[in-house]
Amino acid sequence: MTTYLAEVETPIAATSIKDNIQQEVKIIKRKLNGYVGFANLPKQWHRKSIRRGFSLNIMAVGEAGLGKATLINTLFNREILKKEVEVEEEQESSETVSVKIKNTTAEIDEDGVKLKLNVITAPGFGESVNNVNSWKIIVDEINSRFDSFLEAESRINRSTVNDERVHAFLYFIEPTGHSLRALDITLMKQVHEKVNLIPVIAKSDTLTGEEIAEFKQRILEDIKYQGIKTFQPLDFENDEEETVLNTKQILSKFPFAVVGSTKEVETPDGRIVRGRSYPWGVIEVDNEDHNDFIKLRQLLVRNFLEELKEHTANTLYENYRTEKLNRMGIAQDNTVFREFDPLAKQEEERALHEAKLAKMEAEMKAVFQQKVSEKEKKLQRSEADLFSRHKEMKDKLTKQIKLLEDKKVQLEKQKTLPQEPAASSPAPTKTRKGFLR
Amino acid sequence: MPEPVGIANLPNQRYKIVSKQGATFTLMVAGESGLGKTTFINTLFQSSLKAYQDASERHNKFTSAHQTVEIDIVRAILEEKNFKVRLNIIDTPGFGNNVNNHDSWTPIIDFIDDQHESYMKQEQQPSRLNKKDLRVHACLYFIRPTGHSLKPLDIEIMKRLSTRVNLIPIIAKADTLSPIELEAFKSRIRDVIEAQDINIYTPPLELDDPASAEHSKQLIESMPFAIIGSEEEYEVAPGNFVRGRKYPWGLVEVENDQHCDFKKLRSLLLRTNMLDLVLSTNEFHFETFRSVKLGGNDDDAGNEGEKDEDANENGDVVKKSLAKKPRRLHNPKFKEEEDALKKFFTEQVKAEEQRFRQWETNIVNERNRLNQDLEEMQTKLKSLEEQVKKLQLLKR
Repeated sequence: MTTYLAEVETPIAATSIKDNIQQEVKIIKRKLNGYVGFANLPKQWHRKSIRRGFSLNIMAVGEAGLGKATLINTLFNREILKKEVEVEEEQESSETVSVKIKNTTAEIDEDGVKLKLNVITAPGFGESVNNVNSWKIIVDEINSRFDSFLEAESRINRSTVNDERVHAFLYFIEPTGHSLRALDITLMKQVHEKVNLIPVIAKSDTLTGEEIAEFKQRILEDIKYQGIKTFQPLDFENDEEETVLNTKQILSKFPFAVVGSTKEVETPDGRIVRGRSYPWGVIEVDNEDHNDFIKLRQLLVRNFLEELKEHTANTLYENYRTEKLNRMGIAQDNTVFREFDPLAKQEEERALHEAKLAKMEAEMKAVFQQKVSEKEKKLQRSEADLFSRHKEMKDKLTKQIKLLEDKKVQLEKQKTLPQEPAASSPAPTKTRKGFLR
Repeated sequence: MPEPVGIANLPNQRYKIVSKQGATFTLMVAGESGLGKTTFINTLFQSSLKAYQDASERHNKFTSAHQTVEIDIVRAILEEKNFKVRLNIIDTPGFGNNVNNHDSWTPIIDFIDDQHESYMKQEQQPSRLNKKDLRVHACLYFIRPTGHSLKPLDIEIMKRLSTRVNLIPIIAKADTLSPIELEAFKSRIRDVIEAQDINIYTPPLELDDPASAEHSKQLIESMPFAIIGSEEEYEVAPGNFVRGRKYPWGLVEVENDQHCDFKKLRSLLLRTNMLDLVLSTNEFHFETFRSVKLGGNDDDAGNEGEKDEDANENGDVVKKSLAKKPRRLHNPKFKEEEDALKKFFTEQVKAEEQRFRQWETNIVNERNRLNQDLEEMQTKLKSLEEQVKKLQLLKR
């Protein structure tokens, strides 16, 4: 038999955003114990996602020499970005170095799961003497990626919509050990509402553990004071305990102090690791005691890549789009968000129908009245015509008759003797003047 | 060997996100009444979601000449193994009950189109987080188990459905057909579907995955699914209950592949192909509707738009579709009222015409009389002229 733990039938008031259109929609709530099968949907998604593959667009921004390319290459275990040796160029244009946007793509396959990676860099950032506007090109790039997505989703044919939006924004902070500089704050403030901002302390092997802790503390205070939002994984409280713990650990590492290295070195105890060898020891990339690289990678790929993308699509992009369309003067119509209600629909149709009937009636009446009055006028006119023509003719004839009669009388008078018996004019009462109608 | 990047874990992230978000699924059942649509829904979801229509009401409906096809929606949130689905069941009661069923599909077709249009309009709003989605992901079309073939009405409506929605034809109450009759009936239906170019939903064949491809193949071969539904359970062995229908000659089991295709259909709808139904609705049926609506299905139009300025292009597309088109109204009563109004005016026009004709006749009569009058005067004039002439002659 039907087995369910709880059966609640509650009318839920679906409130649409601003209009306060309250609709009572009856929703049956049941918990099923038997086998139905829709619980398999996440598994279907799992399979489907492997077939479709994944993608990620990372933007890595920071001054030159902070090891951006190395870190990206270390993150993905391969040489995605070539190290830029632009020493000569830097020397040439000393006053203003223009910021350029560079896009590098790579496809990575791990155990049959494919990731299409897109790394966006901004070489030249922070290298001018006056860096007042160097953030502008970066913001423009983020915006134009949103714009082209907006354009693509508004197109009639959307069979090929490429998502080029920035899903994660790695900002490299110079390991000064002091606090954030004005340029850092300006840039982060410019982008934090458009991207998932993930600040990292680059080349953290130049700071001691204590220094890092203090530096992180100061950065976090700055970020908080400036109201800068950084990416936070949401809604993990219901996960398994282990996952929750791990997520909390990831969060505790903000802003990640990392070192990158694709070179393998040998540790004193004979292990081959990725790291940097110094006379005083080896710093291991993949060692959580040495730096936060592993946690950063978990955040970016292993645990939260999909959430980075969801947040970009559902919140950051949506906000950008709303604001842009509002600025373009496109008015919000909240009536389209109503729950479909067959009864209301019927009433609506009835109202539409009645309006249509009324319009039809008015139109037909107008046409009818116009036609009738036209016809009436026409008939009246021809009637009047008829009478006036008749009167004219009659007057003319009457006149002629009168003339002739006079003449006749005259002629008869002239005749001294009536040669003939007077043409007894039979009383020339000639008119029947009464007209019909 | 460096640590793995973590890419292999991405499908698990998707799994987790979907598990948390739950899903929305909208299922439409269409077909003549009395084919067990309500029973099937309750059987499929193992709960009495849909109430049976009041028998007396059914009777009343038969007596009225104009039974209106109305849309009935049941909304439910079902939870299975902690996974929540927001389920919408769209029923079209009474379809096909009229003597003349011409155009009786319009409410069903309109409903599907309306949901697409509503979703499209919501999607165009600057702020669109609370979208209501009633786009139909699958439409089950119930075929009467006549053993002959599809009726013209079936063909007409299936044609129209198949261009808008994932159409899944099923043979209802299949326990009235013997296995041989059923096979012949199925094959005849398949032939008609092919001959009439009706595009029914088929699960994708993923050839790189042999197990899944084999499963899809089995599903496709069983189409159209022959179904029986039942909410009753019978004990077949001590402690073992099955849902089925009990006859003096035996028990038909719902979940027995030898007896009917219920399990296959359930798999297609939920266990293996629910996602494909949802995605193909979104990516194919909805996109088709949208592109026709926005630009008459002209691919070039989209490209031309791209050349325009960014802002204008977006703005234009939005505005174009916001322009309201007058709705088609299909309620037979509406038509009647319209006809009555037209008739009323026609009669008025007739009455007026009659009056005008009389008037015209009067005018003609009057003219004749006046002419006669003039003629008399003319005659008199003539005679006077004669007399005067004579007198003048005499005078000389």
